Order: sequence, then structure tokens, then C-alpha cells
Amino acid sequence: MIVAAAATAATYTVDNLPIPYLQDKTKYVSNPDGILSQETVDSLNLWLGQMETAHGVQTVLAVVEYIEGGDTYEFCMKLGRKYGIGSKEQNSGLIILLSTGDRAYQILTGRGLEGTLPDAICRRIENTQMLPSLREGEWDEAMLQTVRAITLYVDGDDSLVPLSDFDEDDKLALIIFCCFMLVGIGLIIFAIWYDDYQKRLCPNCHKHTMKKISGRTEKKKSLGIRTHYDTYKCTNCHFTKLRTWDESLATASGAYFGGGSFSGRSGGGFTGGHFGGGSFGGGGAGGHF
Amino acid sequence: MKTSHIVLIAIVAVIVLVGGCATSTYNNLVSQDETVTRAWSDVQTQYQRRADLIPNLVNTVKGYAAHERETLQAVVDARTKATQITVDPENLTPEKLAEYQAAQGEVSQALGRLLAITENYPDLKASEQFSELQAQLEGTENRIAESRRLFNEATQQYNVYVRRFPNNIFAGMFGFSTKAMFQAEAGSDKAPTVEF
Repeated sequence: MIVAAAATAATYTVDNLPIPYLQDKTKYVSNPDGILSQETVDSLNLWLGQMETAHGVQTVLAVVEYIEGGDTYEFCMKLGRKYGIGSKEQNSGLIILLSTGDRAYQILTGRGLEGTLPDAICRRIENTQMLPSLREGEWDEAMLQTVRAITLYVDGDDSLVPLSDFDEDDKLALIIFCCFMLVGIGLIIFAIWYDDYQKRLCPNCHKHTMKKISGRTEKKKSLGIRTHYDTYKCTNCHFTKLRTWDESLATASGAYFGGGSFSGRSGGGFTGGHFGGGSFGGGGAGGHF
Repeated sequence: MKTSHIVLIAIVAVIVLVGGCATSTYNNLVSQDETVTRAWSDVQTQYQRRADLIPNLVNTVKGYAAHERETLQAVVDARTKATQITVDPENLTPEKLAEYQAAQGEVSQALGRLLAITENYPDLKASEQFSELQAQLEGTENRIAESRRLFNEATQQYNVYVRRFPNNIFAGMFGFSTKAMFQAEAGSDKAPTVEF
């Protein structure tokens, strides 16, 4: 197996470590040095995605060559503090870090995960699933086995619930959106009423008492229009008037309410994820190999 | 309008203003005081967590290194001494906190010596039970450090608030005073040396 050596051995800080999750919420793995194979990254993303959907566990998994300072625990804590990984209510954030050059690893659990993944269990996972592969330099295998073991523990804990679909920011956005919708609908209703009101204006007695008594339409396919011939009669002065107006055939249906469709936030594709503000109290385990 | 009316209105306005100011300062003091109290109880919880781990750790080490009696006993003694000292959050004076910190510091030192001698017992180090206990201990030390950091942060914020003008006047009136913070452990800036 050839380990692709990055042209420049980058040393990552909390601030320059790429977090792909922020651009695409299906990508939990940060693999800037290409240490993991694409196949492994895809599998990990899939599993970690299922863990978030089913249990609200939000993960950042990073595999890099070097980290600044070389202390994986400090690095993970700073990362957790910076992004607030995990929901605020459940505090179920999880950070898995492997620094191959520093030969150090760390699993850091959010405050809400300390019961599901106690320090001793993290150590057991590391000793049995991660270390044997790490010693062989098989980074892919180490990460796959580790995440697989973690998902077993997380799946076994029914107290972990998926994150609510809308957090506070989304709620506010929804309320604002609804307000605009209501104003918009109000304007449309007013426009329809006003249009009708104008049509009822009698040119003779200047009262809004005109009433449509008959109407016919004529299609003019060559022009792409439909002409309406409506006869109005005033109930006040019995004045009659013929009104003709053209309507484009293309927009014949739903002149007002046509067309628009609203797509939800879960529209798939490259939707950026965001972290919920979870906190870390220092749980988890790490070590050197 | 009579002068007496104007004076009366002015007096009422000042009373309302001062009263409003006092109320808002008091409420802020209460909520900040509560934050410090919560942070302090978390600190004590984490230290207690470490104390709870010690019997298990001592027993495990005993199984492999029974004749290291002195080191083991030192840990047990330090633990007993430290668990007797608890500090009420209402009574967070520098002296009390220093006493608490010193007692917990002794536990840390005794534990450090215990972990250092485990280096001499490869069977112990290889045992799964010890490895997991060690992870729990490390995690607990990390939690202690984090809870202390958060406590110091909350206390500092509270202290600044209490001492700032005009809050200091109201704080004195309502009986709020500054609270003590953790000091960096003596010698903690030096990396521990393990001698073989």
C-alpha cells in the first residue's frame, strides 16, 4: 500500500483545519492530506450520517499529518469550543482525531455522550479496534473499525434522540418567512379586489355599480392570446358597456397563483451543515502509538 | 407650575432612576452569582469523581505491586484528607479555596507517584483493566482542568462586575463581594519528571 505523502507536510491549527461539514452536511470527515482513501471517506461519511440522523450525534473526524503543538486532547477541545459541535440540548458532539506524524490519536466526547461512551469504553475501542491497525500504518482500517465500534455503542443507547429539525435560528427565519408570505398574500388579495372594483366603475354615473351580465371568449391561436368580451351593466343608471381584454394563452391558468414552488431545507445536494453549540467537558480518551 | 412641584417631580424621577438601576444591578448580581455557584459545584463534582476512582485504582495496582505499600497508602491518605474538605459556594474566600486546592494538590502528587511506579510493572501496564482505569483517571483530570477553567472564567466575570462603578455601591449594599479564583498550581508549569 502506498501512503500518499503530501507535497508539503502541513501542520494544522484549529483555525486552518478544513471542516467540509460546513459546506456539505453529508461530509463529516476532514482528510486534507489525503491520508484516507476516498472509499474509506465515503463509508465513514455514510455511517456518521446515519448516526446523526438516528441519534443526533454530530461528529467531526479528522485525519492529518501534524497538528500544532502535537497535543491531540488540547486540539480537540479547542476545535469543540470553536465550532460547538453537537446540539445545545443534547451536547452530543463527537470528535475523532488521528495525527499520523505526531503518532497520536484522540476520541473526545461531548458532555451528553459521556454516558454512552465513557472514557473506559473509548480506551477499549482504541486498544482493540484502532491500535492494532495504527501500528501497521493501516489508517483506513483503523478509522473504519473505530467508527464501526462507536456506532454499535451509540445505536445501543435509546436515550439519544435525533436533533430537532428546526433550531432557534431556523424558527426565527420561518417566522419571518411566514410574515412575508402573509403580507404577500394580503397584497395579492387587495390587487384582485382593486381590479374588480375598478371594473365596476360606471363611466356614466361614476358609481361602482357595474355588474358583468354576459361574457364570451375567442381564442386566437396564431397570436397566442384569448380575447374576452365582457358586457357590463350599471345597476344604478342601466348604462351598458362592452369590455374587451386579451389574455396570454401561456399564462392563461393561474395568472396570480401559478408557478412558484417552495423547496424545503432538506433539498439534498450541497447543503451546508451547521453545528448546534454543544459543549465538551473533557471526556474521552487518547494516546500515542 | 410651582417650584415645589418641580422639586417633587425631580425627586420622584431620581428615586425611580436609582431604584431601576439598583433592581437591574441586583438581578445581574444574582444571576452571575448563580453561574459561579454552578461552576463551583461542577468543580467539586469532578474532584469527587476522581476520589471515587481511587479505591478501584489502588486495588488494581495492589494486585500487581503489593509491596509498593507506602506509595499506595499515601494515595489513600491524601484522598481521605481531601474528601473531608468541601467549600460552600457562599464561602469562597481565598483562604478556603487555597486550603481546598492544597488538599487536592496532594492527591494529584500522590497519584502522580503511583502512576510513575506502575512503569516498573509491565504486566500491570498491559492489563486491560488498568488501561481503562487510567483512561478514566486521565479523563477526570481533563474534566477537572476544564471545570476549573470555566469556574475561573465565571468568577472573573463576576468579580469585574462587582467591582465596577456604580455596581460596587449596590453590591456592597446587597452584600455581594468578590470571590476567590484558582491559582496556577505551584510547579505545574514544569513538566513532571519520571525517574527510573
